[in-house]
Amino acid sequence: MIVSPVILLLAGAAIGAAILGFVFQRAGGRALIGLALGAVAGGFGSALFMIPLDYCTFEAERESLDATFGFILVGAGIALVVTPVSWLAGKLLRGEGLVSSTGQPTQGTFKHWWIALPLLLPTLTILAVFLYYPSLETLRLSTMLSRLGARREVFICVDNFTRLAQDQEYWDIVGRTIYISFFIVVLSMGLSLLIATMAYLPIRGASIYRILLVWPYAMSPAVAGIIFLLMFNPSGGMFNYLSGNWFGFKLGWLNDPKVAPWTIIIASVWKSMGFNILFYIAGLQNVPKDLIEAGAIDGAGVVRRFWHIVWPLLSPTTFFLIVTNVTYAFFETYATIDYLTPGGGPLQSTTTMMYRVIQMGVYNNDMGKAAAQSIVLFMMVIGLTLVLFRTGGRQVTYGV
Amino acid sequence: MKKLVLVSIVLVMMLALAVPMSSTGAQDKIPIDVWISFQDYRLDWAQNVAAEFNAVYPQYEVNITGGYSYETMFAQVAVAAEQGQLPAVVHYFEAATQDARDSGLFKPIAEALDGRTEINGLPVDLDDYVDPVIAYYTLDGEFTSMPWNTSSAIMFSNMRYLNAAGWDAPPATWNEVDAACEAVMALDDAPEYCWTFPNHGWFFEQWLAQQDALYVNNGNGREDRATEVAFNSEAGVAILQWLSDQYDKGYLYYSGAQGGESWSTVDQAYSTQQVAMAVYSSSDTTLYTEMGEEGGFETIASFMPYNDETGWTGNLIGGATLWLVDGLDPEVEDGALTFLLYFTNTEYAADWHKVTGYIAIRHSSNELLEAEGYFAENPNQTVAADQLDQSTITPATSGALVGGFPSIRNEVTAAIDRVLLTDEDPAAVLDAAAEASNTIIEEYNLLNAP
Repeated sequence: MIVSPVILLLAGAAIGAAILGFVFQRAGGRALIGLALGAVAGGFGSALFMIPLDYCTFEAERESLDATFGFILVGAGIALVVTPVSWLAGKLLRGEGLVSSTGQPTQGTFKHWWIALPLLLPTLTILAVFLYYPSLETLRLSTMLSRLGARREVFICVDNFTRLAQDQEYWDIVGRTIYISFFIVVLSMGLSLLIATMAYLPIRGASIYRILLVWPYAMSPAVAGIIFLLMFNPSGGMFNYLSGNWFGFKLGWLNDPKVAPWTIIIASVWKSMGFNILFYIAGLQNVPKDLIEAGAIDGAGVVRRFWHIVWPLLSPTTFFLIVTNVTYAFFETYATIDYLTPGGGPLQSTTTMMYRVIQMGVYNNDMGKAAAQSIVLFMMVIGLTLVLFRTGGRQVTYGV
Repeated sequence: MKKLVLVSIVLVMMLALAVPMSSTGAQDKIPIDVWISFQDYRLDWAQNVAAEFNAVYPQYEVNITGGYSYETMFAQVAVAAEQGQLPAVVHYFEAATQDARDSGLFKPIAEALDGRTEINGLPVDLDDYVDPVIAYYTLDGEFTSMPWNTSSAIMFSNMRYLNAAGWDAPPATWNEVDAACEAVMALDDAPEYCWTFPNHGWFFEQWLAQQDALYVNNGNGREDRATEVAFNSEAGVAILQWLSDQYDKGYLYYSGAQGGESWSTVDQAYSTQQVAMAVYSSSDTTLYTEMGEEGGFETIASFMPYNDETGWTGNLIGGATLWLVDGLDPEVEDGALTFLLYFTNTEYAADWHKVTGYIAIRHSSNELLEAEGYFAENPNQTVAADQLDQSTITPATSGALVGGFPSIRNEVTAAIDRVLLTDEDPAAVLDAAAEASNTIIEEYNLLNAP
């Protein structure tokens, strides 16, 4: 499907102009300036991804899937440029500063704004070298056939992505990642809250329990993986020995495709619970005693007091933990999976998206595909985090 | 004033970051860095030899660094090459041979020797290395990389079970394995499973070579660059069919582990006597023999069982070799060559064999071990060498040369996994793996072919 770059540029300009014109009109600026600014921003946005790609998705020999990808990229580019511009313009037109001025202490601030720059420079340098540059490089690699140590790289447009979209095996992996991550987050946080509540009860030696409960978090994933490997081993492992002796059944913890994901979930939950418990105990310590006492005097039972007083006051902790646990489940379970089920499990049943990226990149030395997959994973986690902030973030209570 | 102080502090901090670490003093010794893919007792052995070498040749400082695995060593070297941080010698497994050749990073040993018959007083005698090794690593008629750890796939049998089941010697063919398993599993104290093997692509390659079937086209990649796999032949399907049957009968134990990390699951099953037989690499002959001694049973090593219907042509070698990096300073290159010759001299090659079970790669080492009476005392240790000696050298038994080999192996292990755990047709599963592998080869050749 052939679409001329000029048409895309004009379309982008039109969309940008419409949006910014509207913003300017509502904020009382000159609509004409808005239209002009919007046209520039929109046109630039439409070309943002397309110029590096050389409009390859709209070449004659490409399939309609490529063109669809192209339109998505054009749209994303426009959104990426027009959104911040219209936000900035709106703020400036309404006469608001870029930084919210309310509640800013006047003492202890720097007199000149530029002093912030050298202070930020070390951090920015590190971010640029270790985050921004690799991100751009990943974007570039995702359009390539590329192997480490190869003589050449070949540009293949968005083939790495369209192939993924058509790969049933990859969709299975996405589904499996969501399945495994969901249970890791829910079980780990649920159990942690239960245990933290119990460890917070005024019992003798409570502090010892609390220290012991946090220990698993301090253990390296590799060590934990080996311990679990010895315990879960279907032939000669501890779990099957005990379950076989006591209940007369044995499970294929590591070699049954139905059970193996749960082995990963159990091991990961155990591993991450220490961290969650630590934060929940800290959160519980911040719940004012008088509120609970007042509730008790008014005749609220344990469950009601927990549900109506403690749980809402824990919401900032819970929200923070959801975000960190989701990140953990998506990105940091590689070592656990690799030690327990090297190769990604029976019938790939424990292959998560992250595991696949490392398999592709490190073991198969297929950098282009690995880069494309890591971008898909990145977009997914960003999307999920945004949804969490939009929905969960609103229900968080920070004050009493 | 305060502002000035602040700005200068920031500047000093930035400078501190920018100044590179200055090196401490000049070294008079010529450093020779060697990267080995091991991190266990095999690395210790190599480091001990290096220490002895450094004592004998004070002008050199050999420094051996261990790596995580064969599979990750490749990425490590590629990154080092981009940064110009290559060591002098790199340890690559056999599956990386084509990738190593294409990388252009290495210099053939023969070229570096340049016809010299001795270096630093060490004699050069390439004819002393055993034939299968020379056959594998002689590429385009040139001795390319220095052999070190060479193994073959063999079988270890727990004779406590086999004797009880009425077998005096381990089974030699697929049908015999089946018959032995029937007898073993009928024992009162039968093990949980009859036999196992690590689901590593190398074993499929071995069973294929036994049937004289090619892994890739163009004479297994030895006549011309391989462009397609050939393993989805009748011989390949027969392997998957047989494994599937063994699994369905409950004879074959499959741990679920695939690829380079699958070895330890077999160690555990064999040492805890959950299986009667293990098809494994000869690299751990010493370890498996000791497992028997510690567990109170006799371990007998035997040839890898073969398909009765197609007979036995021969087995492949496995293991890894030491590659000399190209473009070193002449004195570093000579030092590296000296070390390679020292590292694989008659005595060390013999000792390495005793410590591990990798074959003794030199004729003179075998003569030394024979003279010591070592082989007579340790019959298990000769099995791999005998198996390779008796192999007929054909393109199939010389081993495949193909780019992206490690990724292709992953396709094969995934196919075996699928055939064992589902009821899908072995031929269809193998065809799918072949298709995926062909894409890998096509893309590899596109990027790497000169």
